[in-house]
Amino acid sequence: MKLPSPSWSWASLPAILIAWMVIAADRPSYAFPQPWDVIREGVSWCAHGRLAEQVAASLARELAGFAAAVVVSAVIGFTAALVPGFRAFIAPITGIFMALPPIAWAPLALILFGLGSSAIILVIFIASMFPMALALQNGVMSIRESYVRAARILGADRYQLLLHVYLPASLPFLTTAWRIGFSQAWRALVAAEMVGASNGIGWMVAMGGQIGSSSQVLLGIAIIGTIAWVTEFLIFRRIELRYQSWHQH
Amino acid sequence: MPENPTSFASRAGRARGAAFAVEDLHFAYPTGQPVFRSLSLQARAGEFITLVGPSGCGKTTLVNLLSGFLAPGGGRITIDSQPVSPELPALGYVFQSPQLFPWLDVLDNVCFGLRMRRNGDLSACRQKARQFLALVGLEGAAGRHPHQLSGGMQQRVALARALVLEPTLLLMDEPFAALDAITRAGLNDQLLRLAGELGQTVVFITHDVEEAVYLADRVLVLGMAPDGIACELTIDLPRPRSQRATRQHPRYAEACTILMERISAIIASAPGRILGGSGVQAP
Repeated sequence: MKLPSPSWSWASLPAILIAWMVIAADRPSYAFPQPWDVIREGVSWCAHGRLAEQVAASLARELAGFAAAVVVSAVIGFTAALVPGFRAFIAPITGIFMALPPIAWAPLALILFGLGSSAIILVIFIASMFPMALALQNGVMSIRESYVRAARILGADRYQLLLHVYLPASLPFLTTAWRIGFSQAWRALVAAEMVGASNGIGWMVAMGGQIGSSSQVLLGIAIIGTIAWVTEFLIFRRIELRYQSWHQH
Repeated sequence: MPENPTSFASRAGRARGAAFAVEDLHFAYPTGQPVFRSLSLQARAGEFITLVGPSGCGKTTLVNLLSGFLAPGGGRITIDSQPVSPELPALGYVFQSPQLFPWLDVLDNVCFGLRMRRNGDLSACRQKARQFLALVGLEGAAGRHPHQLSGGMQQRVALARALVLEPTLLLMDEPFAALDAITRAGLNDQLLRLAGELGQTVVFITHDVEEAVYLADRVLVLGMAPDGIACELTIDLPRPRSQRATRQHPRYAEACTILMERISAIIASAPGRILGGSGVQAP
């Protein structure tokens, strides 16, 4: 016998805030500010439109790198799933790139493209393309052979199988891959902006550290976390939910 | 389609079913013992054949060879004198589980084959699909998705999806095995009516001897691999079959008894070769 246990997820955010306030209580605000100091910092950044500028710069890079990765990973993931030779060829390459932290490519990217968005977009692309390609490959390979057989006996040729079976059957994996890829891209973006950008949220955090403004650092972290949370739970998880009913039979 | 469902007596003579021939068939899976060694089998156009036999005797393998999903190691399989392949328009296949496409609603599942074969535009396809959904009694479920249907309803959609292409040879691999007895009896009658109207040749696998007799013109008993067809029994029961009259017919019980004895003898003669549990369901 087990009683339905109440969900405690509502309590996590207040717990973090309380812990924050306790830690900050006996420290000067320039070293470890209270939450309201950070809010005040946020208001002052908003006042000059400077915050919106950083967020927009980061989101633009994120979307550019992520979009490129979505296209390339779709091609690589599908091809690797359907062509065994290509799968064997790409596996070590994917393995190498996924074993390395994407930020390790940042210095090379900066040498190649100079300070600015191009280098950061390249790092984002590397960070998200390989995990997405791999997730998609595994998903397409798990599509039941029986769907393919059913479609063949109903007259589908190779091209129709791709368009009418593999593509729709892989939609759930595609959305999972996008969710994974977006969050990987976001992590890499912040890291890359900290070393090689003159604006953006990552730059804002790094600058905060250099000028000794703890409030600015914490403000940046809060914004990074909020955007990650919103995209993960309010966008990608919701899209994935639509396809869960497929697996019920 | 012909509207006279009472003309069962002549169904075997109708031209709309395909005749098929299996000659000297050899087959072995790459990693295993031979499944068939020199199996031969002929079916008349419009004949309803049921396949029974112990588990692991190769019933599904035989149907997969007939559909062209497996290539024979030797011998020839022809459908209306054409070499077999899964893409033959003559073929329909209803699998053990419905295998409906979860991303399509019921109507578009039934439409699928018509669209793949480009039989007219989308609205014509949908209209024809609607007719066949009505034939299996599911016109009201057209807009629903497969996961919203019961197992029996899903299998009826799968049947409609195969029948809408008007195949001349319908292969069915234990299509109703997972369903309860009452649902199964209803689907058996629906299948007999539809296949009768369309004049199809049917090859139907079952592990239920009573179902095999109820449906068939001829029951084939497969022996343990690689023996092939151990015996066959022509079922001389009047059509149309009905749950009450057919099952009360003296020859019905007689046929069931004979088949049970034959299958028991096969199992008894090869105790070490049974792969799974018993493939025969006691009546």
